Amino acid sequence: MVKKINPDELQKIVASIPMISASASRLLQISAQPDHELMDVVNLVKTDANLTARVLKVVNSAAYGLVSKITSVDRAVSYLGEQVIVSIAIENCAGELLGKELAGYEAAGGELWKHDLRAAIAAREVVIQSGADMSPDLAFTAGLLHDIGKALISDYLHGTAPDAVEMISSHDSLDYLAAEEQLVGVDHTVAGYALAQAWQLPEELTAAIRYHHEPARAQEAFRPLVYAVHLGDSIAMMGGYGTGSDSMRYKLDPGYADYIQINANILANVMLTVDTEFEKLSESLSDSGEKN
Amino acid sequence: MGQIILGVGDFGCSNNPDDEIKTFALGSCVSVIFLDPKTRTIGMAHVALPDSTINKAKATEKPGYFADTAIPALLAQMAELGCDKRGKGIIVKLCGGANVMDTNDTFQIGKRNALSIKKILWSYGMGAIAEDLGGNYSRTVSISIAAGQVTLSSPGKPSWQL
Repeated sequence: MVKKINPDELQKIVASIPMISASASRLLQISAQPDHELMDVVNLVKTDANLTARVLKVVNSAAYGLVSKITSVDRAVSYLGEQVIVSIAIENCAGELLGKELAGYEAAGGELWKHDLRAAIAAREVVIQSGADMSPDLAFTAGLLHDIGKALISDYLHGTAPDAVEMISSHDSLDYLAAEEQLVGVDHTVAGYALAQAWQLPEELTAAIRYHHEPARAQEAFRPLVYAVHLGDSIAMMGGYGTGSDSMRYKLDPGYADYIQINANILANVMLTVDTEFEKLSESLSDSGEKN
Repeated sequence: MGQIILGVGDFGCSNNPDDEIKTFALGSCVSVIFLDPKTRTIGMAHVALPDSTINKAKATEKPGYFADTAIPALLAQMAELGCDKRGKGIIVKLCGGANVMDTNDTFQIGKRNALSIKKILWSYGMGAIAEDLGGNYSRTVSISIAAGQVTLSSPGKPSWQL
């Protein structure tokens, strides 16, 4: 018998997850401000010795192959760029959560984080290559965090993957989101939203976590971003990087066309870029990890 | 047993009965499988996109990535193991090419991959005798060279043969 997650239980789960660090929280706030500068990121990194050490380790890792070592935070941040810094900060404080095995989805450890990185790159590339009027950096960050709720409900979904798959193929559930709700009472976007609120994430990111499968329900101001994440998520799954049993079992909302102009050619180029950039990013992050 | 793992855009073949060829999580990608009964050679390509004209440099570096460059590349590699270079006598199986639910034309890359592959196979006078294409789920494929058996799996489903 699967245990249902009622609102009290959900709050308990959220309370059991460690808070993100103050510097990561501040970094996400900065990233969500439309007029921020890279210098704001540099100054933030400097306030956190642990983050500084990680950033310097990544920039000097074999993946970047620098001839001379970078020792200043200013140079490291401008060399790596905001998106890599955000990835490092999130991995640093939520790595355990995002790296865990998703038994409820029959996904091995690391699959969620890889999916998140791919979705982040894809959301960014959708924005850049379609010329949509929004921040590629923010699309990237929202992509990294969009599925965080899966890590919260996965244990409760343990053993349910065959049922969920069957419920969808027999049309008892419209998609995997509906199946999660039917099985444990809460889907991964609702669980993620509860965590985003506890973490006091910027409302843009909270909206992307809550509505990435139902972008039309997001507040108008955030809808372009939420659609970018919606597409980034789909592209990650299409590229073979889902999170197990739920992969591809979500609906595409064609309403993206009101905000994002993308044709088959642009999509093919986005997928190609995601493959290349993912290799680079994951190599640089894991490289530095091994040296710890 | 030797395991030949193919990533996205990789292709490979073997006639060693101890080997197994495997590729993980085909989302919209399509796995093209060539079985040559005469030489007992099996080859596979993990095709990501239908058409190499969008990036010629990538096609040169990784011909298995695109449908139109993957098939000639796989045939050429299998010819080195004694198979017919135009694919005569080779049995074809196809799997993958999934789509997300309610997809629109633009996002039907899985379908476009499959169509492009079939068109190119046709130009060689080849066609698939078995296929497991489309749907809304990701597939992992493995083939044992000794048995020539194609096994598919997907999280939440029991594995099946093609």
